[in-house]
This record gives sequence, C-alpha cells and structure tokens, in this order.
Amino acid sequence: MIELVAGGRWTTIQDRGRPGLERYGIPPGGAADWFAARVANELVGNQPDAALVECTSIGPTLRFDNEAIVAVTGGQVASIADWGAFRVARGSSLAVGAIAPGLRAYVAIRGGIDVRVVLGSRSFCQRGGFGGGFGRPLATGDRLPIGQLVAHEPVLAPWPPSHRLPLRGPWEVRVIAGPQAAAFASDALERLTATACRVTPEIDRMGLRLETPGLRLQSEEILTVPITTGAIQVTPSGGLIILHVDHQTTGGYPIIATVINADLPLVAQARPGDTVRFRFVHMQEATRAWRRMSGWLELDL
Amino acid sequence: MWRVSPAGDRALLITIGTVIDPALLGQVLALDRALQDKRPRGLLSTVPAYASLLCHYDASVTDAARLEESIRQLEGKVEHSIPSGTIVDIPTRYDGPDLPEVALKTNLTPAGVIEQHAGREYLVYCVGFAPGFTYCGALPAEIAVPRLASPRLRVPAGSIGIAGRQTGIYAVESPGGWNLIGRTTLRLFDPKDDPPARFKPGDRLRFIPIP
Repeated sequence: MIELVAGGRWTTIQDRGRPGLERYGIPPGGAADWFAARVANELVGNQPDAALVECTSIGPTLRFDNEAIVAVTGGQVASIADWGAFRVARGSSLAVGAIAPGLRAYVAIRGGIDVRVVLGSRSFCQRGGFGGGFGRPLATGDRLPIGQLVAHEPVLAPWPPSHRLPLRGPWEVRVIAGPQAAAFASDALERLTATACRVTPEIDRMGLRLETPGLRLQSEEILTVPITTGAIQVTPSGGLIILHVDHQTTGGYPIIATVINADLPLVAQARPGDTVRFRFVHMQEATRAWRRMSGWLELDL
Repeated sequence: MWRVSPAGDRALLITIGTVIDPALLGQVLALDRALQDKRPRGLLSTVPAYASLLCHYDASVTDAARLEESIRQLEGKVEHSIPSGTIVDIPTRYDGPDLPEVALKTNLTPAGVIEQHAGREYLVYCVGFAPGFTYCGALPAEIAVPRLASPRLRVPAGSIGIAGRQTGIYAVESPGGWNLIGRTTLRLFDPKDDPPARFKPGDRLRFIPIP
C-alpha cells in the first residue's frame, strides 16, 4: 500500500479513461497528458492501462509500505529525477511538491494503482463523482493498493529528451477546422490563428478558458451536438474554451476548431498566463504527428 | 444531404439536421443502429444527439475519408420511424426555486406553469452534457423561457429544469443554467447499473405532479 502523507493541490487516480460511454453523458476522462502518463507506465514496465497518480500544480507526498519501482513524468518536479524509473525503499517517502514548468506530473508505480474499476476504468470522473478509488480527488490519509498490471521489466535508461514535448509556453497548438467552422465568418479561422490567446486561471480537466485580446468571433448558438476532447468552443462573451478530457459530452456553442490528439498533452501542461497560438493543419499532418508520437512509445531503450 | 465533418482527428460528426424534430431524431437513431449492424472497420463508438451522430474511430485502423465513405453508403437507405418507446412516468414535486419567476415571465400562475409542463408526453432527444442528464422536448411555447443569465454552480441531482423549448432532468449534481421548476427522487444515473443512464434518446416520458 501507499499512503498519502500530503494530498497535494488536485491529485487524482487516472488511467486511459472510459471512452465509448459518451452516449450516457460520461466524459472519456483519463490522464490529461496522455503521452506523459503512457511513458510513466512504460518506464516502470506497466501495461498501458495501469492506473497512476495525476498531480496538479503541487503534487502529494507518498509513503511506501513496501519497496517499489516508480517513475515521474510530465511537468518538472524539483527533487526527483524525472522521466526515469527509480527504486523507492520500504517505509520511505516521495515528496512530489511544486510542479513547474508544466502543470501536471504523473507518478507511475510498478504494478499500477489497484483501486476498483468503475465502468471499465479506474479514473476519477469529477462530473459523475465516481471512480478514482474514492469518488473524489485524493486526500491526506488515503491508502492506495498496488496491483499487478506489469507487462515487462522496468526501463533502466531515462526517457530521451528528444522524445518529449515542450513543457513551457508560448505554446503552438495545432488544430484542424471544427465541425461547425462554417457557422463563423469565412476569415474566422485565419483570425483565430493570428491571435495570441491567453490562458486564464479558469482551467481544469473539463476545459481551459482562453482570452483572445483583440479578437471577437461572432456566432449563433446551435442545436446541441456531441463534442470531442480538444474542441474549441466560442462563447457568447467572445472568449474560447478548449474542452479537455472531462468535457461535457454535448454542447450548444459552435466548435470553430479542434486540437489534434498529438497536441492535447500541451494543453494539459499550459498554465494561467501562458500564451497559446493555434496553427491550422490538415488531417494528414494531424495523423502524421500522432503516428510519430506512437512511434516514440515503441522505443527499444 | 448529410453533412459529414471531422470533429478532431479521431471522430466524424454526421449532421442530419439543425432543428428539434422527432423525425430527425428517428433518422439519427436509425443510422446509429445501421452502423452497429454494419460495424465499419475502425469504428469504436457513437454518440447520438437530437439531429446528429458522432462517430469515434481508431486512427490506427481507418481514416476519416474511408469511414465517411462507408457511412455515406447508408445515406437514403436506413429505415427510420418516429421513436415511440413506452412512456415512463416521472413523479415530480413542483417546488423548484425558479417556478415563481417562470410564472412571472410567462404571465401564468405557478399552477398554470405546472399544468403546461405536466401530463404531456415528451421525447428524449439526448443524454449528454453531464452523466445521465436527460434532454426532452418539445416544451409548450407558453412556458418557453431563456436560460438563467448566470448559471448556478450547484444544481442538485433530480432537479427538473426548462430552457427554451426544452425540459431536462439533472441526473447528478452539476452546474447548470436551466430554470428549475421541480424535482424527482427517481434515480437517473448509477455507475453500477448497466446501462448506467436510465434513459436513452428515443424514449418517452411524462411528468406526474406529486404533493
């Protein structure tokens, strides 16, 4: 077992989420930075669907009842050799502490966190108040069982910096035209990509609100449609919301563009005050970018 | 003509119409069933809502163009009808915090608002927004009021709200901007149930006033 000696700012259990249940109003969820989470599991030799600890801004302090193999990836954590597996002795503690640059860090433990599976996943679903072991973010005193979802030996070498994503802004985030792009003026996408957007403090796993100084995109409300992670909503006040992994499954604001899967990890690491510039790409480039990152995960280190 | 557009690089949105219409929902549900039978390569899951269907696909197996092609083959060929499931009664206590305000805005008494809302049959158009949230229509024009200017941060589970020509039931506690006129103790979402949501698009329901 692992005990949380300190809970951290917003610490949750996440895995690959529960995609496919959107028709019941359930968001896909899962690790906000899918790439960092996937690497963390890879480093400790876990199966890709093993659950890990997602830390936000300030991470928890974990005390280990037994010896464990651990890896920390994602945003940078001061005192830990990140993006590499290491051994934690029985009875010792691991203090994640402040995360910067970046916003979210992932702590994978060999075997995975073995909380109860709810609707096919161990991820905490905030909108539904279920999953994640406790139906809430983790708190001081929580005890987490370790499972046996191992796939291979731990990776001894640290993950190469050439196969990681940037951790600080200004962010260039690639988008493809949204399903309702036609609801906007013909130059709207062009104006959007020419604007330096600013991340506001209103960011969480459901979405990120962005200010768009000097840019006002006009559109009408539309008939409620299903939406996807990465969808960029234009709100009546003119600002933008990038919908993230715990997004509402349907919405009535038109989607002007959608962040490509390969760049969703950047959105997970953006902090309030950061600048985001969107770059318009075609589907082929989106697919290429995603294939390239998938290739990184096949690395034989 | 269906509009098929990418919703990101792992999903296609098929837009069949842009208005609330039982016949359009019938087409969406027919397409959804046809895709479940046909199982095009790489299709992972679908999400129906009002007049559109979202299709998630595995980008390592198929791509947008190929999936669109196999969806287009169904255009004009799916059998559809206006949904007509059994009618489920929702015991409703009409004591919502916005009932007096809705009455004021519609020049009705609170009893008049209840009379308009209750008793009639509604079609479930969508389960979405939050887990189990059930969108129904069409609300009579007499009690159509806009959303609240500023949404509530917490709406209790079981709350029944109205907005425009729609009425809906909050299945879990969530933020919300609809005018709350009543509540039900019926549980509409439970992660332990299979399926976890009580209603699905195409179902029909009726609100029955209880003291």
